[in-house]
Amino acid sequence: MTLYAVTFYVLAAIVVLSTLLAIIQRQVIHAVVYLIVSFFATGLLFYLLGAPFLAALEVIIYAGAIMVLFLFIVMTVRAESGEDKGEIYQWLPAVILGIISLFVGGVLIFEIPGSKTGLSTGMATPSAFGQFLFKNYWFPVEIASFLLLIGLVGALYLGRRESRKGSEDRR
Amino acid sequence: MLLEWILGFVFLIVKLTIVLIILLTVAAYLVWVERKLLGRIQARYGPNRAGEFGLLQPLADLVKLITKEDTVPQEANKGIFLLAPGVVGLMALLIFAVVPFGSGVTLWGRSIPLVITDLNVGLLFILALSSISVYGIALGGWASNSKYSLLGGIRGAAQMISYEVPMGLSLVPVVMLARSFSLVEITNAQSARPFIFVQPVSFILFLIAALAEIKRIPFDLPEAENELGAGYHTEYSGMRFGLFFLGEYITMIILGSLIAVFFLGGWHGPLLPPIIWFLLKVGIIVFTLIWFRATFPRIRYDQLMNTGWKVLIPIALLNIVVTGALVLGTS
Amino acid sequence: MLIEYLAILIYIAIAVFFALFAIIASALLGQKKPTPLKQAPYECGMTTFGSSFRRIPIKYYIIAMLFLLFDIEVVFLYPWAVVFKEFKMFAFISMAVFLGILVIAYIYIWKKGALEWE
Repeated sequence: MTLYAVTFYVLAAIVVLSTLLAIIQRQVIHAVVYLIVSFFATGLLFYLLGAPFLAALEVIIYAGAIMVLFLFIVMTVRAESGEDKGEIYQWLPAVILGIISLFVGGVLIFEIPGSKTGLSTGMATPSAFGQFLFKNYWFPVEIASFLLLIGLVGALYLGRRESRKGSEDRR
Repeated sequence: MLLEWILGFVFLIVKLTIVLIILLTVAAYLVWVERKLLGRIQARYGPNRAGEFGLLQPLADLVKLITKEDTVPQEANKGIFLLAPGVVGLMALLIFAVVPFGSGVTLWGRSIPLVITDLNVGLLFILALSSISVYGIALGGWASNSKYSLLGGIRGAAQMISYEVPMGLSLVPVVMLARSFSLVEITNAQSARPFIFVQPVSFILFLIAALAEIKRIPFDLPEAENELGAGYHTEYSGMRFGLFFLGEYITMIILGSLIAVFFLGGWHGPLLPPIIWFLLKVGIIVFTLIWFRATFPRIRYDQLMNTGWKVLIPIALLNIVVTGALVLGTS
Repeated sequence: MLIEYLAILIYIAIAVFFALFAIIASALLGQKKPTPLKQAPYECGMTTFGSSFRRIPIKYYIIAMLFLLFDIEVVFLYPWAVVFKEFKMFAFISMAVFLGILVIAYIYIWKKGALEWE
């Protein structure tokens, strides 16, 4: 095995393990921490596979921004670990979705012919990435900004309602 | 072939170790410099007991921190309590990996770049790691099971994420002009003229946002001692507190280096050797930061949030558009 | 080439080692005389009362949400900034539209009072 392969498998193991721990943790904050580790390791995997720009985005957006949001949500609700094992209606959809994605993943790996050939380690420079994005995908980028606008409106709506309820509680 | 490979490996390890040791030593002495300077500004002597001019003070601090009792508050979340200072210290050390401190030297026929690794996404790497170090503050405050720590941690996290946006926006014009994220290439783009003359607005925005990001006065609300004890590190003792402390001083050095690289032309300069120029620029910035601490009062939390969201972001957006128009007009 | 590529991983390993070393050295060398009073959370010298857990205001959630959305916008700006000098007018217009929508969102949240910190 080459050094690359060793590094790859170590990182991949970290990703799988930390994601698993995030799922089975009862303490919510611990789950958040494991997810951060998982995203960070995924970022390193992207870097290893020659996509440094994506690696940075993975860490900035997922590990840096989304998980801060999760952390704040966990701190907003009562953060004590619940004793209940979770209702069946919470588990069932998760299990079904898990099995489906496992199946799809298996099909992708074993049935698609191209998936068995090893990737040669390439290097996508940031400017190549930018050119590609703006030559081929400038329109989706504009659409994305609309999506963000809608997300902003939704977040504000949720937050406003909650804040009024919160002030009533205090009184 | 193999020999060549092993030799390269050894060189790399030696270089990394030397850089790390120098960085840690400078950070430790920065504590001394800050205390001495603050002392002189306030007409005191500052540390002067340990060694000549108190020069052995960092050593004394180290011995003290290592041999102190390592207390964990009851009902603290032990795992996370242990982890948090490590995250802060580690992220500070890692950011330095992309900072170029010289143009490169040749040793025994082998050219050694004076940067740990010249990532082609260096600038994004910095933003990514600084967004991770938010967790050190927030989790450290949360895990301590203390009211002051929790308040300090949340304040710190909200402050850091709020100022990450203007910090990111203020660097967009730099990338537009340099056409690269690599810190070496950004430095080289300024060989003729440092960006501070082309982008004064960006410079000021970055300075303010980065000051808030490293939680120095006038933005040290997460550790406002008259309201919160010591904020998020109230419950920490021994070397764990030491890591928070060290992290703060390393980030000061890093802020100095980043301003030098992004706006002051990095190691470029006439007459003197490159590395001296670099150290000089970093030194000036760090001195200014200490001077700020001696001069400015702490601002209020609503002022902090308003400045970030209502002043810095609009100016940064406007600055990007103006820069774009100017670049178009001149080319 | 490979070595330079892996430099960052090696540096991470050394830095992790240092952080662990500092914490472990402190745990080994420091004295251990825990008393209940010493381990009580700090509260200005008074006896601690009540749970130290506080629910944080929903305000922080909104700040985190705004941060997430603006962070994504910033990240979209970066690949554009790198290629700006090559695409010239096209890049300027496409980003003007992008920033325009962002400014609409920004004005909206400002008018809605999400940026007010009481």
